[in-house]
Amino acid sequence: MNEFGAVLQVRGLCKEHGQGQGLVRAVDEIDLDVPAGQMLAVTGPSGCGKSTLLHLLGGLERPSRGEVWLAGRRIDTLNERALARLRRRSVGFVFQAFHLVEELSARENVELPVLLAGRSPRAARRRAATLLERVGLADRARHLPWELSGGQRQRVAIARAMANDPLVLLADEPTGNLDTAATLDVLRVFEELRAAGQTLVIVTHDERVAATADRVVSMRDGTCVDDTRLAAQAAGGLGDMFGLGE
Amino acid sequence: MGRILLVFRLVVADVRSHPAQAAMMLLAITTATATLSLGMSLRGATDALYLQTRAATAGPDVVALTPDGDRATTSALTSLAQAPEVTAHSGPYREYHTTVTAHGLTSAAVVQGADAAPGPIDRPLVTSGTWVRPGGVVVERGFATALGVRVGDRVTVAGRSLPVAGIAVTAGHSIYPGAQMIGPGGGPSDYSGLVWLSGADARALAAADLPVTSLLYLKLRDPSAAQEFVQSRRQFSEEHSTNFVTWQDMGERGARILRQSQPVLVVGSWLLALLAVGGVATLAAGRATKQTRRVGLLKAVGATPGLIAAVLLGEYLTLALIADVLGLTIARLAAPGLANPTASLLSNAAGPTGDTIAATTFLALAVAVLTTLGPTRRALRTETVTALADGARRPGHRAWLNGMSALLPTSLLLALRLIARRPGRAVLHALSIAVMVIGATALLVARVQSRFDYGLGSSHLGNVQREQGHRVLLAITVALAVLAAVNIVTITWTTALEARPVMAIARTLGATPGQITAGLSAAQLLPTLPGAVVGVPSGMFLVLLFSPPNVAIPPTWTLFVPALAAPLATAALTALPARLAARRSIARTLSVEGA
Repeated sequence: MNEFGAVLQVRGLCKEHGQGQGLVRAVDEIDLDVPAGQMLAVTGPSGCGKSTLLHLLGGLERPSRGEVWLAGRRIDTLNERALARLRRRSVGFVFQAFHLVEELSARENVELPVLLAGRSPRAARRRAATLLERVGLADRARHLPWELSGGQRQRVAIARAMANDPLVLLADEPTGNLDTAATLDVLRVFEELRAAGQTLVIVTHDERVAATADRVVSMRDGTCVDDTRLAAQAAGGLGDMFGLGE
Repeated sequence: MGRILLVFRLVVADVRSHPAQAAMMLLAITTATATLSLGMSLRGATDALYLQTRAATAGPDVVALTPDGDRATTSALTSLAQAPEVTAHSGPYREYHTTVTAHGLTSAAVVQGADAAPGPIDRPLVTSGTWVRPGGVVVERGFATALGVRVGDRVTVAGRSLPVAGIAVTAGHSIYPGAQMIGPGGGPSDYSGLVWLSGADARALAAADLPVTSLLYLKLRDPSAAQEFVQSRRQFSEEHSTNFVTWQDMGERGARILRQSQPVLVVGSWLLALLAVGGVATLAAGRATKQTRRVGLLKAVGATPGLIAAVLLGEYLTLALIADVLGLTIARLAAPGLANPTASLLSNAAGPTGDTIAATTFLALAVAVLTTLGPTRRALRTETVTALADGARRPGHRAWLNGMSALLPTSLLLALRLIARRPGRAVLHALSIAVMVIGATALLVARVQSRFDYGLGSSHLGNVQREQGHRVLLAITVALAVLAAVNIVTITWTTALEARPVMAIARTLGATPGQITAGLSAAQLLPTLPGAVVGVPSGMFLVLLFSPPNVAIPPTWTLFVPALAAPLATAALTALPARLAARRSIARTLSVEGA
């Protein structure tokens, strides 16, 4: 983290696709600081560059120009091997399509990043049990992904993303494939993570989801057009916000 | 008609969109059918060529040979021509036992004195140059090929240098190197070649006091009764020290040359067919996802299950039939050279028999059906919407393997979990390796068999039977190695393609490209080990099954060579596809493919 407490910093970030007449700027000159413990929502219409920004923040794609700093370390210049190690320890990803490994049970999916980090199978098992308990799926540990509902799958994906205690959790449309009830379950998990001091960056086009964040950055045509800090959540909580009783 | 045209168009479009897979399938099945066709064609092929040569050269039904050339001997031989079963004869002729040297190569040979105009029986067919003339020698074609002589070259016959006037084939002697049908003085015969000299030149050899044999060619009223004719002349044979050789004997002696080659080809075709099944099954499985989506599309636009099955199976069956035709054509072209390695016989034999065509067609269709029926049935049973959404067959959950892999380093963990996804493919891979090692083991055993060369006092000319067997075995082993290599690359690439989303997730979770590359390679290497271990004893078993009891066994350490080479070759072949797969953009993979 830098002197201002920003766990993530972005300066002049650009991502271009194509050449000449076909050149597209998916991300165009973005500056951003994400303080530790903040829940940041990135919103905007489809194709505005939200997901690309998230991929750049997590080192899944390399920028055309600009800098990305994670916990005071510049990551856009790292090689693939170093980026992989960085992701292993410092970044957790949650995707709209869940991206769980189909042939692994919920517990095995959560164990995977722990094993990749070189920890013992016993430690991986303990960590998976703790995290599945935390997301309310302890009784689903042996189930395969296709035996779980969408909301349950996404909660397994969140548990997996948290397996190595990352500095930042990046979520790309985490509720995009979920119904209202499942969305609420997922947001509750995020809320608990935020309460525990976890830094979260959530890309979403759902304004209700964005409203649960500390701060909302709006994007259009690859650039940030608005940056709003939100007040504390409404007294009615998430249930009222989604029209469901708590 | 419209339905057939539609199926045809869809099949053609699919082949055009997957040219590499189509080419690989053609290669695999063509190799198997060509080898099977060759193996089956060789059964009786030499007999057929001998009969053809016999017809073209007025070959004798029986050859009577007596060691000596004096008047009493020839008179006794000539009396055989008066037998009631005999309708025509030529001779008696004299053959001298000597040596022939050319291009530094020396071999035992029989020199036959020939008339300028051959008699009615045994009229050698001159294939290049001219028939005998004073001061010129005609060399039997098999012998000429072994010596490497052509018309105009000079050869030394019994110490006399003569130009080669011509090259000819005959059915009056066993094929090279069996021209010497009885040895000098009636003793055991040795391998030798045949040359013809003019009567005067041959008589000059008599002055050199060379061993001589007199021979008479006989044509019988009933050629099929040649053996009975010989049996009925047993007393004559004893009284006059006469040996009889029937046309059937000569044909059988020629077929001995192929005794090593035929089982190698037939067994080789089984092994190649196994590899073809492995390769085509991998291709079919690799395309299953796309095929299922295609089925979904066809169902969505109203295609019936029958039409869809015709489209899916039609492509593979059509390619299999094309491969069958290619295999039969290759076998047709290669068979004469293989069946006539000495070039002693005329070799424009007919094409494959009906049995051979039926067997190769069955093999080709069986490979296609065995490997595509499963994916086709699965695709047809998949609900339309499911098929359109994601046709991938869900991998099985193997908790014990996943648990075991958790104890291993990351690369091996990934490798074991990749194997656990598709264990059937690992079995196919192990099978490919085992088959390749079987071929290599057989080659090793063949190489340590003792050398036996032809010729009296000569070691210059190679053993045709042994060399032929080695050539065939080498060709089969190379074909096995090529197909196995293609299979390894196909399996690696298919595994990498299917595992793309999973590998992308693993990279997202922190696996390095190096670990992914090593994991993909190790997923191919692990099945290689049991394949190699099983391949060596299986190879030895097959060799011993088709070998004489006194076969030499290579030193044990040499048997480890193919067992060690297989994993090394696999590592080399999988390195590039695995590396390419590990470098693909994670974001792109995850955005276009679901895990």
